[in-house]
Amino acid sequence: MTDTDDILRVNDLSTRFFTEQGQVNAVDELELRIERGEVFGIVGESGSGKSVTARSVIDLIDAPGEITDGEIWFDDAELAETVREDSPDAVDGSFVDLLSVSPAVRQSLRGTSFSMIFQDPESSFNPSLTVGEQLAEAVEVQRRASANPRSTKAKTDSAEYSFGNLLLSTVLPSQQFVTEESRERAIELLELVGIPDPVERAGEYPHEYSGGMLQRAMIAQALAGEPDVLIADEPTTALDVTIQAQILDLLDDLQTETGMTILLITHNLGVVARMCDRVGVMYAGEIVERGTLEDVFDDHVHPYTEGLLGSIPELEGANGQLEPIGGNVPSLLDHEMEDRCHFADRCPMAMEDCLDHPPEFDATGSEAHTVRCVLATRSYTERDALPPNYFGDEERPAGDKHAEPDRSDGEQPAERTQTTISDAGGESR
Amino acid sequence: MIPDRLESNLRQGFRESLLPKLGLVLLASILIMAIFAPVLATHNPTRTGYLDENGNSYPPLGTSYTTEIGQDGEFVEVEVESTSDHLLGTNDIGQDVFSRLVYGARTSMLVGLLGTGLAVLIGVPFGLISGYYGGRVDDAMMRIADTMLAFPSLVLALALIGVFGSAGFGIPDPLTRFGLIDGMPESTMLPGTVTVVVALVTWVWFARVARGEAMSVRNEEYVTAARSMGASNWTILFKHVLPNSLTPVIVLATIQVAAVILLESSLSFLGFSGTTLSWGYDISRGQGYQRTSWWISMVPGLGIVFAVIAVNLLGDWLRDALDPNIEGEGGGA
Amino acid sequence: MSIGKFLVKRLLQGVLVIWGVITIMFALRAVSPGDPANLIVGPAADPEIRDQVREQYGLNEPIYVQYVDYVQGMVTGDFGYSFQSSREVTTMVLERVPATLELAIAATIIAVVIAVPLGVISASRRNEPADYGATLFSLLGISTPNFWLGLMLILLFAVFLQDPMETYLGFSFPQGRRTVGFGEAVITLVTTGYAGDLLTWVRHITLPAITLGTYFTAMITRLTRSGMIDEFGKPYVTATEAKGIPYVLIRYKHVLRNTMIPIITVLGLQLGTLIGGAVITETVFNWPGLGDRLIQALNARDWPLMQGIIVFIALGFVLINIAVDALYATLDPRVTNE
Ligand code: SF4
Repeated sequence: MTDTDDILRVNDLSTRFFTEQGQVNAVDELELRIERGEVFGIVGESGSGKSVTARSVIDLIDAPGEITDGEIWFDDAELAETVREDSPDAVDGSFVDLLSVSPAVRQSLRGTSFSMIFQDPESSFNPSLTVGEQLAEAVEVQRRASANPRSTKAKTDSAEYSFGNLLLSTVLPSQQFVTEESRERAIELLELVGIPDPVERAGEYPHEYSGGMLQRAMIAQALAGEPDVLIADEPTTALDVTIQAQILDLLDDLQTETGMTILLITHNLGVVARMCDRVGVMYAGEIVERGTLEDVFDDHVHPYTEGLLGSIPELEGANGQLEPIGGNVPSLLDHEMEDRCHFADRCPMAMEDCLDHPPEFDATGSEAHTVRCVLATRSYTERDALPPNYFGDEERPAGDKHAEPDRSDGEQPAERTQTTISDAGGESR
Repeated sequence: MIPDRLESNLRQGFRESLLPKLGLVLLASILIMAIFAPVLATHNPTRTGYLDENGNSYPPLGTSYTTEIGQDGEFVEVEVESTSDHLLGTNDIGQDVFSRLVYGARTSMLVGLLGTGLAVLIGVPFGLISGYYGGRVDDAMMRIADTMLAFPSLVLALALIGVFGSAGFGIPDPLTRFGLIDGMPESTMLPGTVTVVVALVTWVWFARVARGEAMSVRNEEYVTAARSMGASNWTILFKHVLPNSLTPVIVLATIQVAAVILLESSLSFLGFSGTTLSWGYDISRGQGYQRTSWWISMVPGLGIVFAVIAVNLLGDWLRDALDPNIEGEGGGA
Repeated sequence: MSIGKFLVKRLLQGVLVIWGVITIMFALRAVSPGDPANLIVGPAADPEIRDQVREQYGLNEPIYVQYVDYVQGMVTGDFGYSFQSSREVTTMVLERVPATLELAIAATIIAVVIAVPLGVISASRRNEPADYGATLFSLLGISTPNFWLGLMLILLFAVFLQDPMETYLGFSFPQGRRTVGFGEAVITLVTTGYAGDLLTWVRHITLPAITLGTYFTAMITRLTRSGMIDEFGKPYVTATEAKGIPYVLIRYKHVLRNTMIPIITVLGLQLGTLIGGAVITETVFNWPGLGDRLIQALNARDWPLMQGIIVFIALGFVLINIAVDALYATLDPRVTNE
């Protein structure tokens, strides 16, 4: 493999949802390299598959979703040693393919190697347990993992804490999952993320917190396991603008301090500019343009990226929805996806060449800059342009990049697809 | 009245699951049984004396039982065979069980539908007013509702019947009146007191639902707009608030029909219903003859179970498609 | 609002409700047709005796005086005298309470012990045979009138299976009135070490408790199933999964616990059904509880006894509901904050 210090290499990842309307290709043959210690941003509209990508990495895809294909190589020498005996195919040097290891191993990485911050802190905490208790659970996971380093026979959670323990714990405090030490550590964590009176606040319930405070608590919870990779899924979207900045500052500080890697999912290019080292723009389950911040902000090639950047002011809109470009969010239904550039029906520069699905082309700028668009190899000419009504009667915003989003109500399939994805992946809740 | 989205939910629910279809078929058969009882019944359900030569009831077709009869001052065991004349046998006083099953559907359905309808008529306006006006009015009305809820419905029903007795009145049966069918009862007894009492003990559930709906739309823009345009409270209540509460009321009403059928059968079983042509009453008839004549109480019970299952299946379908958050009283009594 | 204040408020509401119940019962009696004196001494009695009786029971007073007396009596626990047996109603009610409580508690225990696991299995194995089985069972359970279920159980166990059970198991479920109460049986066991009475009691209560408990088992199964499925869909479950805690904790400590919170309130409301069910179950099984006595009182038009029983039942209902609210408030931290 190459000499860069990658922590995560995602190859050919496909995640699909099998719904009543048909198969939804939420993530389609996605490639991703994330370096140790960097902040990698994935940006896109809702329904572009960015959240599903994140959840595929941390293994939180629920039925009817399924990772159908691909490899997720994770760099962890210690893990590689322990896995090698049982599944040698899943190991390559110090890398382990997370999609080839047993579910128990995969599960054991949650919290300790990967953790996640969710969009809406209020609905991401259990309303009937105290914040302190919920944090302590996360601490306990780490505590038990480090007290009991992965053995050859990968630990399974049933061996650790069983239904019997749980039943006993109703009468015997010593059988509780969460220990006193973890509770104390939870309080320290609350202090670390800047929550005043952490001792008191640890005993309070989520509804007694403000949104910003709760998001801090969630960050504390995600840090409890001292993860290698933190996945932040729209960490500021549900918050007030002033609080957003505070939360980003906090994440920034913590990242500098701990050196962890962050995979940041957002629809907000402002957040990307503020936080990320490198960024990938996602559309219809694919990364359509990727590179350093400069590549994407200044040297972008893809008309979709152009559209996103053109609408930055709107990003701060009250509803937080990203609707930069005319046309509908693409249908990800397998039977409706044609083998062409998926953006062609909304692209103001669509040409006949675009009817073949473009591969990733290298583009000018840094070495990392690639783009999935024919414009990387040729320039736009009127002569090759597709006629305006090529994709049915749906109006394309020819030439006008700032057109108002055209949400014609007749487009049921696309909208329904989107709900399906959000429902399944929990993206918008 | 029912928005498109809900309608498509309903369709989808119906298409995807076997249960609503089963419920509909069951309910339709029971309703047909109730309406065309005189046609379907094989005997006059009130006529007694269909017994064998020793005075024993006939068992259901294909079964037989042994019993002892006194003969010449001695007990002799005899075998009683079924007869194709009486599909489900006869009861202790020789009434045809099948015909009584068919006619029992009438009583159940009549009381179930009329009782629930009456409860809607009492409960919905009460709840709407309470929720729409809010404040003191609401407080007072909700305390009344709480008080009603503190009585187990069966107990309150028994108390009311204890006071007013149980009266019924006959509804003439057109099929026999006009001479289309011979030998069947001229009229069907509707247990009037029971119908009213059942409504009196179940209306509170409708009031609660209607109140919730009224409260949720009270401050909606269109209601404020209507008010600012000078619409009277009554107009607003009936034009805007009532239609809004219809969906949950329909769902609850369906569920309550099941509860009412069970309540009616309980009252009949205890002998307080005022009619003797009822599934519950027939079950109590068979209570003393379990050892030999098990079918006397088993058959009408199956009638109740099927009727209630039918209604419950439809209720589940409606609830899942229209509104998931409805509480009602079950009919375990 | 603290839990204390919350409870005080609920208690005050409860007092109002009980007053309402008492008033309704009084009003019913006042509008009831017929002369109560007739019920006591019979219509053919000497007018003089009848007057005496009227005097004695306070039936000659103006209606509001009767009302005040009546409420006063109720408040001090004096429910008057039975028309029929001339015994104190309070005693007649209290002596029947244990049997009803035994039945209700046994049924509740059966319901909870069977229904919660069944609901959990059903929700975790959606659309598998176990789920279909549980769903069918709960549909049948909520649709079966319990008096009929009771008769069928008697038919099956106490008639058809009695002899085989005696032969092969050495016991059967007896028909007929129970011979010993739970309290006495326990006292016997403790004082003499003889467990036979307790076993007899268990045999007697099994069928009635199943009869009364079936509806609740079915209902709680349904509620648990749908509640858990709803709850599993909530975002916090995913967030909790992301922490990497053991699955048992997610399922029970988080999801099941949160599912049970609303179910507890629904059960409080359904208590009326339980009591109504107890009345009729007691009739079917000849169980010497309040319901059995209520039916007797109704048949004899014994007003004071009937009133006493109904007011007592309402009182119990209100108290248990307050207890349920308190439980709810401790389980769901949001309640007292509203
Ligand atoms: S490939 Fe063609 S259609 Fe697709 S984005 Fe590029 S120019 Fe537009």
